[in-house]
Amino acid sequence: MPAFQLTVNGRPRSVDADPDTPLLWILRDNLGLTGTKFGCGVGLCGSCTVHQGDKAVRACQVPLREAAGTAIVTIEGLAPRGLHPVQRAWIEEDVAQCGYCQPGMIMSATALLADHPHPTDAQIDAVIGEHICRCGSYPRIRQAIHRAAKGGAR
Amino acid sequence: MTSRRDFLKIAGSAGAGLVLGLRLQGKARPGAPAEPVFHPNAYLAIRPDGSALLTVPKSEMGQGVRTALPMVIAEELDLDWSRVELHQAMPGPEFLHLGTGGSTSVSTTWMILRKAGAAAREMLVAAAAQSWGVAPDQCRTEKGTVFGPGGRTSTYGELAEAAARQPVPKAPRLKAPQAFRILGRPTRRLDGPRIVTGKPLFGLDVRRPGQRFAAVLRCPVVGGTPKAWDASKALAVPGVHAVVQVPTGLAVIAEGTWPALQGREALAATVRWDEGPNAAFNSRDLENQMRSALQGPADPARKAGAAAPALAAAARVLEAEYAFPFQSHTPMEPMNATAEVRSDGATLWTGTQNPNTAQVRAAAAVGLKPERMAVNVTLLGGGFGRRSGTDFSTEAIQVAKAAGPGPIQVVWDRSDDIRHDQFHPATLHHLKAGLDGHGRIAAWSHHIAGGAVLRSWLEGQKSPGQAETEANGAWDIPYDIPALDIAFAEVQVPVPLGWWRAIEIVPNVFARECFLDEVAHATGKDPLALRLELLGRRGRVKLGGEDVDIARLRRVLELAADKAGWGRKLPAGHGLGLACHAYDRRTYMAEVAEVSVKKGQLQVHKVVAAVDCGIVLNPEGLAGQVEGGVAWGVSALFSQITFEKGRTVQENFDTFPVLRSPDMPRVEVHTVASLEAPSGMGEPPVPVCLPAVLNAVFAATGKRLRRLPILPADLA
Ligand code: FES
Ligand code: FES
Repeated sequence: MPAFQLTVNGRPRSVDADPDTPLLWILRDNLGLTGTKFGCGVGLCGSCTVHQGDKAVRACQVPLREAAGTAIVTIEGLAPRGLHPVQRAWIEEDVAQCGYCQPGMIMSATALLADHPHPTDAQIDAVIGEHICRCGSYPRIRQAIHRAAKGGAR
Repeated sequence: MTSRRDFLKIAGSAGAGLVLGLRLQGKARPGAPAEPVFHPNAYLAIRPDGSALLTVPKSEMGQGVRTALPMVIAEELDLDWSRVELHQAMPGPEFLHLGTGGSTSVSTTWMILRKAGAAAREMLVAAAAQSWGVAPDQCRTEKGTVFGPGGRTSTYGELAEAAARQPVPKAPRLKAPQAFRILGRPTRRLDGPRIVTGKPLFGLDVRRPGQRFAAVLRCPVVGGTPKAWDASKALAVPGVHAVVQVPTGLAVIAEGTWPALQGREALAATVRWDEGPNAAFNSRDLENQMRSALQGPADPARKAGAAAPALAAAARVLEAEYAFPFQSHTPMEPMNATAEVRSDGATLWTGTQNPNTAQVRAAAAVGLKPERMAVNVTLLGGGFGRRSGTDFSTEAIQVAKAAGPGPIQVVWDRSDDIRHDQFHPATLHHLKAGLDGHGRIAAWSHHIAGGAVLRSWLEGQKSPGQAETEANGAWDIPYDIPALDIAFAEVQVPVPLGWWRAIEIVPNVFARECFLDEVAHATGKDPLALRLELLGRRGRVKLGGEDVDIARLRRVLELAADKAGWGRKLPAGHGLGLACHAYDRRTYMAEVAEVSVKKGQLQVHKVVAAVDCGIVLNPEGLAGQVEGGVAWGVSALFSQITFEKGRTVQENFDTFPVLRSPDMPRVEVHTVASLEAPSGMGEPPVPVCLPAVLNAVFAATGKRLRRLPILPADLA
């Protein structure tokens, strides 16, 4: 199998795998980055959200071949030193219940705030509405995004 | 053991002894904190640096036990909360009952944990008093430090070694709840920072040296088996190592999850199934069976007065049928377990609500003694009752055994998770209310037909407690009605059943509280006024041998109604609805929902909840549970599992939609201050939510929805 080059959390990585392998499994199984979660595998739940360049994408929908040559940031690489303001807001609002969906939520929230530093509830819903939290932490997700926006999170 | 109630009692009956010295295993790594020197019982240990290691004897699935339970120990022990670390209990002689469910984690462990903390505190104080030559009662404790007369202080870390030599007090003195400093304060979850940074915490995050991955091809029809297959197609997928047969199907073993799933797809194209006896099972036929079962004999869950003659003599009888569908748990983390079988024993890593049973069953499946089966409990990416099942952990150990040496992670994808769920059963409800000449309810009958979760739990046995278990929420109707006839008519279903968040209480309270609303409207009474009239001015009453304080239920109902502005003028198209229930006779809950229906679109704007669960350990956690419970309840109005040709029609979130952010109502939580013993909060907010919303829909539209899920045509 051919080796693919990509940048993950600022580090160049070379991966030898089937080009159709979703980035999700490359991250989790080949690179040991299990912070990116598997929830549905078909782009419906957002648990697997990572950044590709400056966009939030569903890692289960990005084959390795399309990830090659791009820069990927996962929850582990969001704030290499300490906490990203969005992560801090998440802790302060005590958002997580089981916590499983939250890395994906945070990756989408940071991308949203980069585009809209002060998002409205409707803008938040448009993005978070593409995710699922079965524990129902939605009200706190919204509050945490507003809190991060106030603190100037990027 | 006959009913779910009995299971819950046993689950709470015996924690670890107080005198047991738990060796927290593991050699100190370089740079790691020194080993604890003071471990007076299985629940806590203190290191020489003063940090505390607390053992959590329940599984964390989002309900907050890994914060609330440590708070209990820390409270009695006066620990410095910022220096608390957690250790997750494993099944073993110290921990025989780790089962987590039924919203019982707090109520069953809280006295044990208080005593564990208080005993350790007395030993630390005794050690300090001895070294200072003063009496223990001249000392006090705060934030991990003992303070003595004359400004003397010693930290718990300094005292740990000497405390370990003190006798363990048999009856340590507990604090008065009024003196609590940690309990009752809004406290963020201890795992929060690890969760938001994506640390490996969940079952699917387990990575062991040499680990392989597996996906199991299971017959979509429950009970079906593979008749013939060709493994070569799967083996041709790069990264696939082997195909092995296990009792649940064919396992594809691979170097990664993706090759395992790809290999399984290739294998699926070659397999011929013997679909077995359930290949014709479907939801429509089942509903007809349930309807006929409602006409036939039923097992009584509760009888009071003489309901049949009272109904016959009633001036007016109201009658209705309510229907609740099969449901899937769909926690965000699909089922999975990692397993390894060695010559000297085996190990499981899995997010389970039921570690002891998982241990026993997995051990039996591979012919080991339970003590040879180590079970590591990870965080659960949602549980909701699904992870009380042991099917996924037993299967993983079978796959590991068949696949040979080395750890194997068995991954379920979402369609496995839905198709092979242990489903919440569909039920049909027939309700009758006999009214006297003044429109008062003289008799109430609620018959339920459907599959019995308890029978599935008991692996096919019918127990005498079955009707009581399946009619929970119906038989403990809190209203003062002279004659009651509550019964359950079992219909055998061929698919595995399991308890769901808030169990049978969800459909039963849905039917009960909606039908009561019908009675209110039929008799020209306000739904709140009717409930208050039926609750009356009673205090403690016995329902099915258990104490229920009707005054507490009345108070939460009044509180919710008051805060929601019951009776206020609403915008056009809006409606308010309410419901109340004493959940498992222990947690008193009322909710008022405000909805609007416009152009056939239902929007739940707001849910005002009032709760009395006794002493509140963590108000922050409680609020989260109410929000999550409301989300679960609203979600349940729109989802269903149906069966065609023996298999589920649904297999992912497109066909089994769950609540998303734009449809999440605002949730307001009001708590009644109480010094009663704490009960539970994981489930109680769910059941009342459904009827509150549906009663609000009636108020808004005049449409009485008696059948779930709500379909677009219902509100058109
Ligand atoms: S796992 Fe990728 S969207 Fe659900
Ligand atoms: S916190 Fe459990 S799924 Fe979102």
